[in-house]
Amino acid sequence: MSTWHTLQERSFLESSARQRAIGLVDAGSFSELVGPLERFVSPHLPILGEAIEFDDGIVTGVGLLGKHPAIVISQEGRFIGGSVGEVGGAKMVGALKLALSIFESLQQGSAAEAEARRPIVLISFETGGVRLHEANAGLLAHAEVMDLLQDLRRKVPVVALIGSKIGCFGGMGFIAAATDVIVMSEFSRLGLTGPEVIEQEMGRNEFDASDRALVFRTTGGKHKFIMGDCNFLVGDTLADFRRQAQHVAQMSMIEIEGMRRIGSRGAVERQMKLVAFAADLRPRDSTDMWKALGNKEPQQLIAASEEEFQKIAVRWNA
Amino acid sequence: MALNQLHFEFAPATPRAFPVAAVHYGVVGSGDMEVIIEACALAGKTQVTVTTPVTGFDHVWQLVLGRFIDESQLADAHISINDNNATPVVVSLRLRQALLEIGE
Amino acid sequence: MDAIDTMIGMGRETIDMIVDAGSFVENGIPGFTLPCADYGPGAVVGSAKMDGRVCTIVANDAMPSNPRFPVVTSGIIGMEEGYKMAMAVYRSIEADAGKPLADKRPLLLIVDTPGNGPGKVEEIVGMNKATGAYQLALAEARKTGHPVLAVVIGRAISGAFLCHGLQADQILSLSDKYGTMIHVMPLTSIARITKQDIEKLTALSKTNPVFAAGPEFFFRLGGVEEIIEAPDAIRDCVLKHIDEIYRLKAERQTDRLGPWGRGELGEERGGRVTRKAVMQRMNEQFAAVADRYLRA
Repeated sequence: MSTWHTLQERSFLESSARQRAIGLVDAGSFSELVGPLERFVSPHLPILGEAIEFDDGIVTGVGLLGKHPAIVISQEGRFIGGSVGEVGGAKMVGALKLALSIFESLQQGSAAEAEARRPIVLISFETGGVRLHEANAGLLAHAEVMDLLQDLRRKVPVVALIGSKIGCFGGMGFIAAATDVIVMSEFSRLGLTGPEVIEQEMGRNEFDASDRALVFRTTGGKHKFIMGDCNFLVGDTLADFRRQAQHVAQMSMIEIEGMRRIGSRGAVERQMKLVAFAADLRPRDSTDMWKALGNKEPQQLIAASEEEFQKIAVRWNA
Repeated sequence: MALNQLHFEFAPATPRAFPVAAVHYGVVGSGDMEVIIEACALAGKTQVTVTTPVTGFDHVWQLVLGRFIDESQLADAHISINDNNATPVVVSLRLRQALLEIGE
Repeated sequence: MDAIDTMIGMGRETIDMIVDAGSFVENGIPGFTLPCADYGPGAVVGSAKMDGRVCTIVANDAMPSNPRFPVVTSGIIGMEEGYKMAMAVYRSIEADAGKPLADKRPLLLIVDTPGNGPGKVEEIVGMNKATGAYQLALAEARKTGHPVLAVVIGRAISGAFLCHGLQADQILSLSDKYGTMIHVMPLTSIARITKQDIEKLTALSKTNPVFAAGPEFFFRLGGVEEIIEAPDAIRDCVLKHIDEIYRLKAERQTDRLGPWGRGELGEERGGRVTRKAVMQRMNEQFAAVADRYLRA
């Protein structure tokens, strides 16, 4: 049985979307919403003779982190690569909408109460983005999710948790970038274009998608931490991710806004400096970037534990 | 090319009612499946619905599901399976794991 | 105009066709500056007038290649392009800060882009941030009251369309008679990746708009507000929709605009009907347990 306590020490990487959802919030507090028993399956996959799943590959629900209602969205990579179609997209949109309505209803009460119970959104990404079998619906859903992230700005923190095997790519890579806080393990990856597509576009000499070390150096948690894209690098247990989420739930909204990479003119100006830096450097490998930022021994960083790594890594700072 | 739905019905010799309202287990990964078992008044019988892209293995399903019912004597239940090319071994395992979820 | 058979690659020409004659000033948005003259050359931004009203233009330019990022050609949105577009939006918002709704300048997005920068350097730096930044900027402009209208004149492909188009209040598309393309992937690629038979997919796409390529299918899903039959009708259609967006915003009917509005329109047109049911069920189920979470 997947009890909360046994889940805590489980590998995030190896866990299912539902185990992650249950384990990311306080013991026994998770209620799944539109779970498998509701049988909201994709209306589009059967026509193509493609297997369906009762939750369409996305677990949504609500739990608690202390007094904070935590709206959880957890993608399942083993079902069609965690791809987002009409139903899964609607579950994401519905959950974000719910977070906003919980925020608004708490505003009706005292300010202190509203602050103490400020909701938080946790999104565990495991996806390549749009589900091609229902591509147009998936694409339109992505835009709705982005729209809601903007609605939630300065109200409800949205935390991206990226510790899955597939990581977060494609259109969902934009979504993750647009969240407030990004938490990653070194075993997961975040980007836009997957390694196979880069290899196809640039040739194998430029990028060998079968080179696992290269793939992780380019989009893995450690690199994203150095680039400032990942705010917190954590270990690979569900407890590691949950504790980090709990920490964010207690931070002030001003502090959280300050962790964003994008979402304001100031943030865009800082990113433009990074792009200019890269244009001058023309890195052939992410370690060229690490060195240019003052990390003299990239190999040492690659081998370091995530705790040690966070102490010694020099990060991009505009 | 549409998905196939297979329906089965079993009548266990010594019916044991399913003790909770419902349980869900599994992920429809490639070569895998998920199952929902729900309590359902069926006069001691158990019905199974399998949704799968695979055709031509009805007799294998009959065999594997029959063995599971024999073992568990599960009665008054409806079993819904979403399959994506799971082997008989995986099917048996997932069904047993689903029962373990409720401590059976 | 009859001689035109496609507008693909004609981002700059389209600007001139739509705005008041000679009114477009490239980069001419208050406070807007660029690090270098050829920064993000795949994106053209600036101010123009439409029926005398100042507006911001954000368009793709398929002609130049980015000298610093070689994968960025043919209208691809690279990192410089994404941030340049985002800056044009933020500067437009600032220029009209504090003004009443009726005086917020419209933003017109002219869409002809085949994708986002698919390179190694792009991944090292984080291409996802550049396009994400532009999307957030557009969402902010829309929510601040600026009418944001997108017109697809050529290619609106996948992530690049998400970035440049799908955050608009409304989306118009030139008819596919002019080669206009809106899709995530062409059917041939979808067939290969999903291991589906191409003939079967082609046949199915005629009745199921959900994976088919083309503006007509996006129209049925609510993704496109109106299809424009010919290039010489673009200007009038744009003006009509900008007026309509102003009106809806003045009437606080913002639920009928933007990505959410397209969801509602998709349901009205019978294209995406499960979406709403899923969200309704979620709300019902939450209501049943709400006390546990709001009074813990």
